[in-house]
Amino acid sequence: MLRPFIAATLLAAPALAAEPGERVRITGEVIDTWCYFSGVMGGPDAVVGSAHHTCALWCSAGGIPVGLLAPDGQVYTILKIEGDAENAGGDTLLRIASHTVTADGMLYVRDGLNYIVVEEVVADEDIVNATHADYGVIPNFAIPKEARQ
Amino acid sequence: MIRLAAAVALIAGPAAAQQDFSEGSEAREWGLFGESKARFAATVVDPLCELAGQCDLPCAGDRQVALVREADGVMVLPLKNGQPAFTGAAVELAPYCGQRVEVDGLLIEDEFVGAVNVYLVQRILPEGADEWVRANRWTEEWAEAHPEAAGEGPWFRRDPRIAAEIAEEGWLGLGAEADAAFIAEEYGE
Repeated sequence: MLRPFIAATLLAAPALAAEPGERVRITGEVIDTWCYFSGVMGGPDAVVGSAHHTCALWCSAGGIPVGLLAPDGQVYTILKIEGDAENAGGDTLLRIASHTVTADGMLYVRDGLNYIVVEEVVADEDIVNATHADYGVIPNFAIPKEARQ
Repeated sequence: MIRLAAAVALIAGPAAAQQDFSEGSEAREWGLFGESKARFAATVVDPLCELAGQCDLPCAGDRQVALVREADGVMVLPLKNGQPAFTGAAVELAPYCGQRVEVDGLLIEDEFVGAVNVYLVQRILPEGADEWVRANRWTEEWAEAHPEAAGEGPWFRRDPRIAAEIAEEGWLGLGAEADAAFIAEEYGE
C-alpha cells in the first residue's frame, strides 16, 4: 500500500525538494547583490539604502540577483517571492528595491550562499535606511544633471 | 573518528575555497577586490529547481540561472554579465539551461561581505562549439523588447519601469520632498 501511495505522491507533486530547506522569518533590506558582493561602487555601507536606491533599481531591472540583507550581515538571495518566480528583473522585486521587509519562507544553503523562497512578505517598512545623508548618491551620476535643477 | 573527520574538513575546506580556476582564462580584469580569473566547465541549472525542487519551468522567462561546476560540484551563482551596464547574467546563460558549457570570467570572493562562489561571466563556450560567445547580449535583448524606449543614452535612463519607479518614489526612494531637499543641499549654489 505504501509504494502506490509514494508513487502517487511523486506524480502529484510538482515540487520535489532537491535540498533540505528550513522555514525561516527574516527581516532585512532588499539589496542588489552585485554591488554589495563585488564592492564595485564602494563599501557595503554605501551600497544600501537611499544613497544606492536608483542603482538598486537599475540592477534589479537589469536582472542582477536581488538579496535580503539581514542585520547580522547575512545575505539571502531571493529565488521567488509571493509566487513570483521572475527573480531576474521581475516587477515584484523591482517595486521593493531598498525596502526593509520581513519575509517568511524557506531557506536553502549551498556552497556558502543563502537562498530564500519567500512565501509571504509579512511586513514592508518601505525605505528606512537613509544612507544618502552620509554618502550622497552612489554612483555619483545616479541623479542626472538635468534633474539636479 | 568525528574529530578526525573534522580535522580533515578543516584542512580541506580552505584549500577548496582557494582552488585556482585561472588556467586558460582570458577574462578581462575589473579591478574588483576579491576578483580572480576563472574558466571552468559547468552545467547550467535553474537554482529554484536545483534547491527547492520547483522545476516546472526551468530557466524560463526572467529567472536566475546557476552553474554547477564540473570539477567539484559547487554551485556558482552568476551575478553579472560582461557589460559594465548594471546587467545580469541570466539572459546570457539561460539558452544553455541543462547543458554543459565552459565559462570564462571573474569569481568574486570577499569573506567580509559573505561573497563566495559568485561570478561575472564574460564568455561562454557551448558544448561542441568551436567559438566562444560573448556574454554581452543583455542590452541588445532589452532594446528588442523595448522599441518604445529607443533613443540616446544608456538603457537604464530609458527603461520605462525604472522611470515609473523614480517618478513615483524619487531618486532616493523617499519621495519628491526628500529629493528636493537633497538636491538643493548637494547641488545647490
